[in-house]
Amino acid sequence: MKKKWYPAVLSVLLAATMLAGCSSSGSNDAQGSANGQSAKEKIKLTMWGAVPAEAGPQAVVDNWNKENPNVQVEYVRYVNDDAGNLKLDTALMTNQNADLYMNYDLPHLQKRVDAGVALELSAKTDYDIDSQMGQDAALWKINDKYYGMPTKKNMAFVWLNKDMLDAAGLPIPEVDWTWSDLQEYAKKLTKSGVYGLLQADSSFTTTMDGTLAGMGVKQADGTSNFGNDLWKQQLEILHNMMFVDKSTPEYGEQLTSKMPVDTMFLQGQTAMLAAGEYIFRNANNLKDYPHDFKTAFAAIPRVNKDQTDYKYPGGVGDVLAVNAKSENQDAAWEFAKWYADGGMLPMASGGRIPASKSVDTKEAMSLLLKGVEDKYDTDSMNKIVFGKFPSFQLNVPQQAVDARKEEYEKYFLNKQDIDTTMKNMQTRSQELLK
Amino acid sequence: MKRRSWMERQGWIGMTFILPNMIGILLFFVIPAIYSFVLMFTNYQFSNPNWQFTGLDNLKQLFHDDNFYASIKYTMIFLISVPVSMVLAFIVALFLNRSVYLKGLIRGMFFLPYISSGVAVAFVWMLLFQPSQGPINEMLRWIGIASPPGWFADTDTAMYAIDIVQIWLMLGYNMIIYLAALQEISTEQLEAARIDGASTFKITWKIVWPLVSPTTFLLMITGLIMTMKSFSIIQAITAGGPSGSTTVLSLFVYKTAFGYYEMGYASAISWFLFAVILVITVIQWVGQKRWVHY
Repeated sequence: MKKKWYPAVLSVLLAATMLAGCSSSGSNDAQGSANGQSAKEKIKLTMWGAVPAEAGPQAVVDNWNKENPNVQVEYVRYVNDDAGNLKLDTALMTNQNADLYMNYDLPHLQKRVDAGVALELSAKTDYDIDSQMGQDAALWKINDKYYGMPTKKNMAFVWLNKDMLDAAGLPIPEVDWTWSDLQEYAKKLTKSGVYGLLQADSSFTTTMDGTLAGMGVKQADGTSNFGNDLWKQQLEILHNMMFVDKSTPEYGEQLTSKMPVDTMFLQGQTAMLAAGEYIFRNANNLKDYPHDFKTAFAAIPRVNKDQTDYKYPGGVGDVLAVNAKSENQDAAWEFAKWYADGGMLPMASGGRIPASKSVDTKEAMSLLLKGVEDKYDTDSMNKIVFGKFPSFQLNVPQQAVDARKEEYEKYFLNKQDIDTTMKNMQTRSQELLK
Repeated sequence: MKRRSWMERQGWIGMTFILPNMIGILLFFVIPAIYSFVLMFTNYQFSNPNWQFTGLDNLKQLFHDDNFYASIKYTMIFLISVPVSMVLAFIVALFLNRSVYLKGLIRGMFFLPYISSGVAVAFVWMLLFQPSQGPINEMLRWIGIASPPGWFADTDTAMYAIDIVQIWLMLGYNMIIYLAALQEISTEQLEAARIDGASTFKITWKIVWPLVSPTTFLLMITGLIMTMKSFSIIQAITAGGPSGSTTVLSLFVYKTAFGYYEMGYASAISWFLFAVILVITVIQWVGQKRWVHY
């Protein structure tokens, strides 16, 4: 009998200690907030962004915290994918400490504006976003107003292994090269163990988007422009590169092995890589990604010579918004201005060049190239990475983007011919673009 | 009198112990379920505070949605893994129930996948099924198959390839349960049959299989429910692709809810999923009278 009671008594004791533990931590919390009240002027802000803290953001907030002992900022990282954005949106909707947050595309910012969690910044008289960030900033306006401050120069281009180009006798391509040129380049650069071209996931649609931005999402008669001829040409070239030239990996292959494209470029397994500035994070890190070739840059090519209204990916991005529900909006706004006008400089070494005209681009560039100057071809870098192009922000519903992807995936997997693909893209997007 | 109060106290203690769990179920299952049932009749979007009741619009849209029918098809293909893995598990269990060398080790090997992390398993299979350099296709080429399937990289085979992973995952669990059932069977019955001259196949088919039918029933019901709900493996391997060819109902719910924030519509899909599981379970409960022998 006695033995039987033993576990019960023990568990009650255990439960009691656990409860005691809870209550004691509760009282600690209460003490903490009491302390906070006594030092009332001390404000705590939280900033959410998708860049890993160690790749710059931590240094940014550390700098701020040192200069502003009364306003302490904490950085929280969310991953910029469905799950990560959901996490941020949940925090915003339920009012959990997100005073400042980064937006990386227009549809997400639009959702947050609809939800009433983005403070309207156009009303602020002490900062002129248009004149500070340039005319590209206006692409981020929603209902003709700013709800976030674009902070960095957006970049997407083709990374070139210059040593391989030299060996093949190819010059660095002109800014306005075309997909046929790129196909030729890739063909000549392909060797055993080396692809001519790799594309990051996000770069698969860059040319399509730039084309669409030029010709408009809808045709004159109001129907969707998702079945246009230029897309067809580009997709066919890419298809040929996969299956005829074999100068770029087959789509299914790349998809299922989740190819680490940046690593492969830095290890010399591809001569060209279509990707964004985020590769600088690894390319400048010679310890983990050792390489001794020189990198040059080319623009993401347009489809053909006759295409006149092609828009190059670029403009400004990293749109910093202030939470309209935040209790410390003024402090958050102060931080946002400071961040845009140079506070973000520690992130330049990872490729995030400040967009504000108050920041000396040379300083940002020297940070970006610090210790790795000899790894880049200065000429093409100045022309492409720091060049100026007509840019765009595509704003179509996520469902339409996903439907488009499903259709071109079928084409790249040889499950559907190009004409059906174009027709399906057109009809499926038609519904969603209403 | 005294005894009864002791019983009462016993009851209270018991209640106190299950209380945390009950609160958990109430908070995280019952209330959200009611909430999502209400959402089904609204156009609520996660980030948009303006919503209204739209009646049966979501359900109407559901039955006109091609993606929905596609996801039902893929779910059906996914469910094939349940009976297949059960039959295989039964065979393995029969084998292991005899005197085999290294029985413990083999049993452990079969059980290992079940206790491994799903996402880790997913990545191992992605390597194995790699179309051009993966060991499985290398082997197929070696035995003379010129163009082996693309597995996860092909819209026609991706769902079946995931079936294979799921079968492999569930095999160990099903096998252990079957093994327990086999050891319950009294040796007298088997010996009697053998003395009467029944062949091994006949004994297995006519005596052993009916005697383990309660286990088959249990595995069938839990297997179907678990497979219909399973999500992490597919999300980790293909995330519903390529070209949507592995978007089963649970992934369709996830994408609608957390990709597009269409909470009302996603609630409608998940209640449909619930209804399907309920119907399958009821059919099995009714049908068990015919083939389950206790």
